[in-house]
Amino acid sequence: MLDPNQQFRGGVFHSSIPDGRIGADIRITPSEIIAEPSAEALTVMDPSQVARMPRWVIPLSECQVDLGGASGRMVFCRNKERDLTIFCEERGFAAMLGDRSGGMLSEQLHVVKKRQAGENHRFRFWLTVGVVATLLFGVIGYYSVLAAARLAIAAVPISMDEKIGSMAMQTIEKEQKLAADHPATKFVTEIVDRLKPHAAIPEMNFKVIVIESSEVNAFALPGGQMVVYTGLLKKAESGEQVAGVLAHEMSHATLRHGLQRVSQSLGIVAAIQFLIGDAGGLLALGSQAAQTSILTSYSRQSETEADLEGARMLHEAGLDPESISAFFDKLKKEDGDIPGVLVWVSSHPLHEQRIESIAKFKSTLAKKEYTPLDLDLATVKESLK
Amino acid sequence: MQYDLVCRPASTAVRFALDAGESITCEVGAMIAMSSGITVETTSKSRGGGGGIMKGIKRMFTGENFFLNHFTSQQSQQTLLIGPTLLGDCIHHPLRSGSMVVQGSSWLASSSSIDIDATWRGFTSAIFSGESMFWVKCSGTGDLFLSSYGAIYPIQVDGEYTVDTGHIVAFEDTLQFKIGKAGKSLIGSFLGGEGLVCKFQGQGKLYCQSHNPPSLGKLLGPKLKPR
Repeated sequence: MLDPNQQFRGGVFHSSIPDGRIGADIRITPSEIIAEPSAEALTVMDPSQVARMPRWVIPLSECQVDLGGASGRMVFCRNKERDLTIFCEERGFAAMLGDRSGGMLSEQLHVVKKRQAGENHRFRFWLTVGVVATLLFGVIGYYSVLAAARLAIAAVPISMDEKIGSMAMQTIEKEQKLAADHPATKFVTEIVDRLKPHAAIPEMNFKVIVIESSEVNAFALPGGQMVVYTGLLKKAESGEQVAGVLAHEMSHATLRHGLQRVSQSLGIVAAIQFLIGDAGGLLALGSQAAQTSILTSYSRQSETEADLEGARMLHEAGLDPESISAFFDKLKKEDGDIPGVLVWVSSHPLHEQRIESIAKFKSTLAKKEYTPLDLDLATVKESLK
Repeated sequence: MQYDLVCRPASTAVRFALDAGESITCEVGAMIAMSSGITVETTSKSRGGGGGIMKGIKRMFTGENFFLNHFTSQQSQQTLLIGPTLLGDCIHHPLRSGSMVVQGSSWLASSSSIDIDATWRGFTSAIFSGESMFWVKCSGTGDLFLSSYGAIYPIQVDGEYTVDTGHIVAFEDTLQFKIGKAGKSLIGSFLGGEGLVCKFQGQGKLYCQSHNPPSLGKLLGPKLKPR
């Protein structure tokens, strides 16, 4: 039930008030809205002004209501001339207004609410359109940068790859490096020598070193320098499996994936900077991207490319292209998905798909007798103990 | 309590002359200097016990501090000098009724009778206007001191008024605040460098500042060396 004598706390806007606004106590009679300066407001007022403060009245019949304020829930009542406004945010005020005006003012408030809801709705719609357009623009931009980076690489001389590769090589720990006449080093060098003539860029200066580490890993740097960890040699079952890994890594170098990766990261950073207009951290970010990305992950597309190019090299060198899948298939079967242990496999996604695509590729190649490697992995393993 | 705005307008500070028993609530870290007869009490509550930990946490969301400093004079004729973080002006706003919605970092000090709370302004305004999701809501009767970055100017809004994001200091509770585009077309608004703006509707007082802190950040940020 509504209490007919209920007082609401609110305020009044009128030109006669110093500052234009005053806090007020509001009552609603069956015919009028009456506002009187609140006691609090009067205490801080100059005594000479207090006497002049009247009470303000808006007849319900000529009252025009509106909603607004910081909360959006404040009810504003204006007189016909619109020079007097009585406002209130308290609960029950709107209901009381509607009750006392016989529903007329609730009707008005309802219309205002509907109009505001419509405005909000339109605003949200355009906001959504804006956000979607921005995202679309971003995605298209991203792929254009990737494509542009690929094209740009073709124009860069191989010597650039070699420079970047040498720089990255310097950061690799050489203390655990095995000597050039160590059986393991000789073993991998011979494999590389057999594959070298069939590389897409035969003049590339392939070099391979072996590093003493339990990690099962191998990688190629731009320009053809490669690193094989002894952990990988110990895990391998045959020379062909090692050749498969090396062919895959050599393909990363000949396909210039490292450089592509760097230029793509740089290109995306540059594009973002262009859009946002902040060019400061470009260099710092670029060098960081170069350091991490060359050594670690390539994109899924690059991996597939390296698989197929590696398979082609193996085939031409008279080795079974399925050696590439043989090694990681073995690791996968033996150890399952143990993160961190199988670095070489874990950085290479979609296991089954790779095996399948290599087998498919092999079927397209001319039938050929494969000549196995004449190398003794057992001796190498013995020397690593 | 008497106050005096000194060194206006570029690096304004507020000097209070307090009599015994008078007290003022300030933003943490705002004190520049004070007489020896003033004690400082740091709590998360308003003076007189209103609020508490929850209000403190809400205040943190606005960009203000969890704690409030209450300076109370123990003797007569004590002086307290406070100032804002950024270079700019300060103003005095007598709060007589209702409440004042203040942008996070602009609240500097207020009478102990004023309640300092946080108010939710919504996700959309936060994401698209660069304004905070929470604003400081000051309600009660007393004196309010606000600070700005650059000059501060009051506007008596009656109808509609548009302010660029980042330039709002405070507005009265009778004003409605919406995010909108500056020009007729959205693309034009962005190309014109105005992007989205804040539109005020209704009747009431609005304080704006001539400069905005994010622009300073954008200007300086790229020139700083990465650590």
